[in-house]
Amino acid sequence: MARVEPIPVTVVTKAGQLLALDADTALLRLPANSGHGHPDGQHCVACATRTDVRAMLYDLLESAKRGLRPAFTRVVVDASAVPDPAVVVAALTGKLPAQALRDHTVARLFYLADAA
Amino acid sequence: MSLSEQQPPIPDWNEVRTALADAMRERILILDGAMGTMLQRRKFTEENFRGERFKDWDLPLQGNNDLLVITEAQAVEDIHLEYYLAGADIVETNTFSATSVAQADYGCEDAVYDINFQGVAVARRAALRAEAEDGRRRFVAGALGPTNKTSSMSTDVNSPGHRSITFDELVVAYGEAIRGLVDAGADLLLFETITDTLNTKAGIFAAQRLFEERGIDVPIMISGTITDLSGRTLSGQTPSAFWYSVRHANPITIGLNCALGADLMRDHIAELSGVADTFICAYPNAGLPNEFGGYDETPEMMASQLDQFASEGLLNIVGGCCGSTPDHIRAIAETVSKYQPRVVPEIETRLRLAGLEPFTLTAEIPFVNVGERTNVTGSARFRKLITAGDYHAALEVARDQVANGAQIIDINMDEGLIDSKQVMIEYLNLLAAEPDIAKVPLMIDSSKWEVIEAGLKCVQGKALVNSISMKEGEEAFLKSARLVRAYGAAVVVMAFDEKGQADTFERKVEICTRAYKLLTEEVGFSPEDIVFDPNVFAVATGIEEHNGYGVAFIEATKQITETLPHVHISGGISNLSFSFRGNEPVREAMHAVFLYYAIQNGMDMGIVNAGQLAVYESIDPELREACEDVILNRRDDGTDRLLEIAERYRGTAGKEAAAKDMSWREKPVEDRIAHALVNGITEFIDADTEEARQKAARPLHVIEGPLMAGMGIVGDLFGSGKMFLPQVVKSARVMKQAVALLLPYMEAEKNADGNATGRKSAGKVLMATVKGDVHDIGKNIVGVVLSCNNYEIIDLGVMVPTAKILQTAKDENVDIIGLSGLITPSLDEMVHVAAEMEREGFDIPLLIGGATTSRVHTAVKIHPRYERGQAVHVNDASRAVGVVGNLLSADTKVAFIDDIKAQYAKAAAAHLRAEEDKKRLPLTTARANAFKPDWEGYEPPKPSFLGTKVFADFDLAELAGYIDWTPFFQTWELKGRYPAILQDERQGEAARALFDDAQRMLKQIIDEKWFVPRAVVGLWPANAVGDDIRLFTDEGRKEELATLFTLRQQLSKRDGKPNMALSDFVAPVDSGKADYMGAFVVTAGLEEVAIAERFEKQNDDYSSILVKALADRFAEALAEMMHARVRRELWGYAADETQTPEELAQETYRGIRPAPGYPAQPDHTEKTTLFKLLDAEKNAGVTLTESFSMWPGSSVSGFYYAHPDAYYFGVAKVERDQVLDYAARKGMPVEEVERWLGPILNYIPGPAIVAAE
Repeated sequence: MARVEPIPVTVVTKAGQLLALDADTALLRLPANSGHGHPDGQHCVACATRTDVRAMLYDLLESAKRGLRPAFTRVVVDASAVPDPAVVVAALTGKLPAQALRDHTVARLFYLADAA
Repeated sequence: MSLSEQQPPIPDWNEVRTALADAMRERILILDGAMGTMLQRRKFTEENFRGERFKDWDLPLQGNNDLLVITEAQAVEDIHLEYYLAGADIVETNTFSATSVAQADYGCEDAVYDINFQGVAVARRAALRAEAEDGRRRFVAGALGPTNKTSSMSTDVNSPGHRSITFDELVVAYGEAIRGLVDAGADLLLFETITDTLNTKAGIFAAQRLFEERGIDVPIMISGTITDLSGRTLSGQTPSAFWYSVRHANPITIGLNCALGADLMRDHIAELSGVADTFICAYPNAGLPNEFGGYDETPEMMASQLDQFASEGLLNIVGGCCGSTPDHIRAIAETVSKYQPRVVPEIETRLRLAGLEPFTLTAEIPFVNVGERTNVTGSARFRKLITAGDYHAALEVARDQVANGAQIIDINMDEGLIDSKQVMIEYLNLLAAEPDIAKVPLMIDSSKWEVIEAGLKCVQGKALVNSISMKEGEEAFLKSARLVRAYGAAVVVMAFDEKGQADTFERKVEICTRAYKLLTEEVGFSPEDIVFDPNVFAVATGIEEHNGYGVAFIEATKQITETLPHVHISGGISNLSFSFRGNEPVREAMHAVFLYYAIQNGMDMGIVNAGQLAVYESIDPELREACEDVILNRRDDGTDRLLEIAERYRGTAGKEAAAKDMSWREKPVEDRIAHALVNGITEFIDADTEEARQKAARPLHVIEGPLMAGMGIVGDLFGSGKMFLPQVVKSARVMKQAVALLLPYMEAEKNADGNATGRKSAGKVLMATVKGDVHDIGKNIVGVVLSCNNYEIIDLGVMVPTAKILQTAKDENVDIIGLSGLITPSLDEMVHVAAEMEREGFDIPLLIGGATTSRVHTAVKIHPRYERGQAVHVNDASRAVGVVGNLLSADTKVAFIDDIKAQYAKAAAAHLRAEEDKKRLPLTTARANAFKPDWEGYEPPKPSFLGTKVFADFDLAELAGYIDWTPFFQTWELKGRYPAILQDERQGEAARALFDDAQRMLKQIIDEKWFVPRAVVGLWPANAVGDDIRLFTDEGRKEELATLFTLRQQLSKRDGKPNMALSDFVAPVDSGKADYMGAFVVTAGLEEVAIAERFEKQNDDYSSILVKALADRFAEALAEMMHARVRRELWGYAADETQTPEELAQETYRGIRPAPGYPAQPDHTEKTTLFKLLDAEKNAGVTLTESFSMWPGSSVSGFYYAHPDAYYFGVAKVERDQVLDYAARKGMPVEEVERWLGPILNYIPGPAIVAAE
């Protein structure tokens, strides 16, 4: 079976730092807070959809698969609003516990190329 | 008043079920909203959470909301009441995290029961208050969260097979919570926010156990959570797959809650509404939390979205999850009151299974092809991958099957050589992380119930069990059937009862009908979840009774599917054509014809290799007709006619085989098995064994009958010298293959009558190569020979520490221990093992074998250390059977041991006398008599380079030319020189066959580059200083690189012969001559280990031993070749040497290459210097064990001496004076030198000074 090329993910952690985006690049903006009233960073299945970089990458994939958005070969994650960007890096390097099967899929199909 | 004294009102759950169901048919019921959101508003502090009960708690408790049912009970009760008064019919208890798993974060595991109990009590008080206020009945649903661990996947993406919690642990955790809820009188149980279906299946299992125990039936609500855009649960299931996986709980509602807001939940609720024949419950969040920390949906917005759900008739119960408040609930209740509730649809009765995705066996699918490539008994390739532990490739097999369209995949790990249960667990756990495999349902296939059960505990989907039967009687059948149902699986039932497998039409129908009644009436199995396997048996076997097997299956299929509604028929098709093994075209045709008729008559499932199925219409009409004759049993001579034409369809491979003398194939099966064993032919053994098995009453009888009879012949021939070791090892290979085929049947039978019907071995033998030693060819050969004499062998491999040997001996209760070792330090290790056995109170026999062991060593050093039992030296495989037999026989044991003892006493006494006779010279005298060549007239040759050089990329074919075959035959206990041995009158035939096999493998080794040999050679300036040799860093000879220490003979010599030491071959420092030394390490490489292991796993010890023996030969050949290159070019002192490789083996050339640890320098520890000089680990990939054995085992090392008079001598025994001197020179403690030189000490080590009396 054909193996899928893993997709590089670049994480931007400082506000104002800009990366060139082209047609093949998808941009993800992570929100500043979990929004559910509980402390930021605490896992919540509901919030994950909005805050967990893995859930969002998976949704990117799914959207592209369904033709809801253009296909992409790179992802830039804007984590400048996130209080602790280390969590984002940990999530992308397999160091954060997987919460869902999609996290395994994301771990195989994406890799952290750069964190700036 | 303590908790247990309170008498909560216990509802009549059947009444509750009816009342709720009636209400849900009339109107849409209202569930409450979020408790967490309401509690947050109260801004409770740490003190509130602690209350009185937890005031001194070690851990912070703030955030443990569930505790508030105890510590702030009134607040919780008031919130419940608010919801009831806002319109809720049902409130959920505040017990979402009240399981021991989730409470572990706070150390509150002990409070779990109380929280659940109080959670219900608090909600009940609110319910009663609400009822008192408006007269409307209210219900309390005991909430069960998902726990914070997940059993269907790993939390570590780098280790997808890992699980932080097991099914069994979850059953316990859920069980405790459910007891609390039920004891307090909850009206319902609500499994909610389900993120992992397997967790919930454990919860359902726990609930059902409790219900059974108490004879109650509490209505269950099940609510999953979808968080992905793709509409999957966190564990990856679609809503329908989720429903099929939990349907066995017979829940009163199924639905979704949490993560998505109402708008995003609609499609998924609609999907569930369409497939579920029960009520639907939905309670979404108040939208997704927005970026400002609030919720998007106001009560009005949320209500208007749910308005749409209700108007479309999707709802029976509705409520709110995160972010919803009593205001939301009030608005929702008002809105939905306008609509009629959903009408529960009638769902067609179909077999519905699930992986991550649902599977329904619809009318459009005439036949489900169950993928059999992931079955170790069905696929040789898969078996190899699994036994080799190559899960990665094994998963690819599954992936390919699914990619090629398999709708269900069969997973079977019934392989005698592996821990089937563990491997099933590991494989399923890894598979769960592969969405493109896990999407299909699994068939959990094993003849062992424990393997099936272990498998069921790993799958979140609805699986199919293959299989259960009434072979062990009704009770056992009902027990496993109930469990299959409790795990939520469908089941294949084999037509097998106490009397045996059903072979006739009548028996097939009778057994299936009986099983159907039991399953549907006693167990409550849904009939569509039953698959019958009426047994496909081999036809055209030449046995008349078998002729009707095909048609019996087809007719029974028709009868069963017509009289037992909704059931399915399956079968393993490949059995049918067993007698045509090797003739694939005919087999494929038979399968296609059989299926053509069976499917027409109702067969709808089967294990078939889809790639190997001919199309009925496209089969050659002549062949097709012949197959039909046989399968439908249309004429008496059908078999003969098919046999007649079959040869014509056989592939080319078959033609070659036919050219051989195949007349033995005509004989009865017993004779064929004996023939195969004696001649080591594996080709037909599976078919023959299967045939014998079908003839025999029990599979064990095949072993005890024809197989043991055949091996008896082998044993006799071996004993009388008419068969030789290589042939016996080949026979053993045939035997192993046959036994492997029978094992699953024997296991199944063992389960059947529950008593010991297993094969009785003649005894258990533990075998090990001792610590520090890596050599195992001899040990493996002895193991093989013993195992084919019906001994059970536990082989611990190489480098086995004493503690492990003894522990295993105890655990396994072995009858005998066999130790092996090749290098001299192993001798001491064996003494150590013997002493430890004595200390630990063992009394079983201890066998000693291996190249350096000897009868004298065993008699003098090992035997005295093990008085409770008996140590016996056995140095060849041919003797091993006799010795073990005698030692384990009650009749002969005593006499045999007495005899051994007498022999050893004699040997020890003789040894002592001989030692006394052998007068040793003082070291000074020996040195005075050193070998002194004429250094004056000698010009040491100068090497072409100094330092080390690494060599790789060897031409294996060229190397093979350097192989000395004589030692190869010795490995196989064929004694004689090559090539004369090939013509030897007695051994010639065996030697030739062995040589042929070796040449064939050699060719493969060369062609396929099995080995990657490496070599490193060093040459340095050197001069002798006494008995030492100094190596210098450069020609200046000022800076010392290393010192080599040598030992000198202390034997008294006659005829003026010198007392040799290796240093005598190097020019002394004061001779003024600039001499040199060389050293080398070569290896055939590590590849051999994996290859040998692979063969072993395939039950092919013959090839395993063969490849090891050849690897050893390659290492020796490389040593020989490098030595030639050193002489001719690198050192270059014999540039004109012209010997052929054959002549080289005679060692007629100038110079030697002795290795430390061998007679010329018996001290193994000198290898440390050798390896350091050459940096052998880096340069050749060879390392030393703690006993200075080289790893990989097929390696050779040594020093090069170039002096024309250099020769191989033996140091023999040394005296204490030399040991003291040597220890001082080497800077090593005396005791340590004595330990390493133990085997050559001419004295008994002890304190040097004895106190004067």
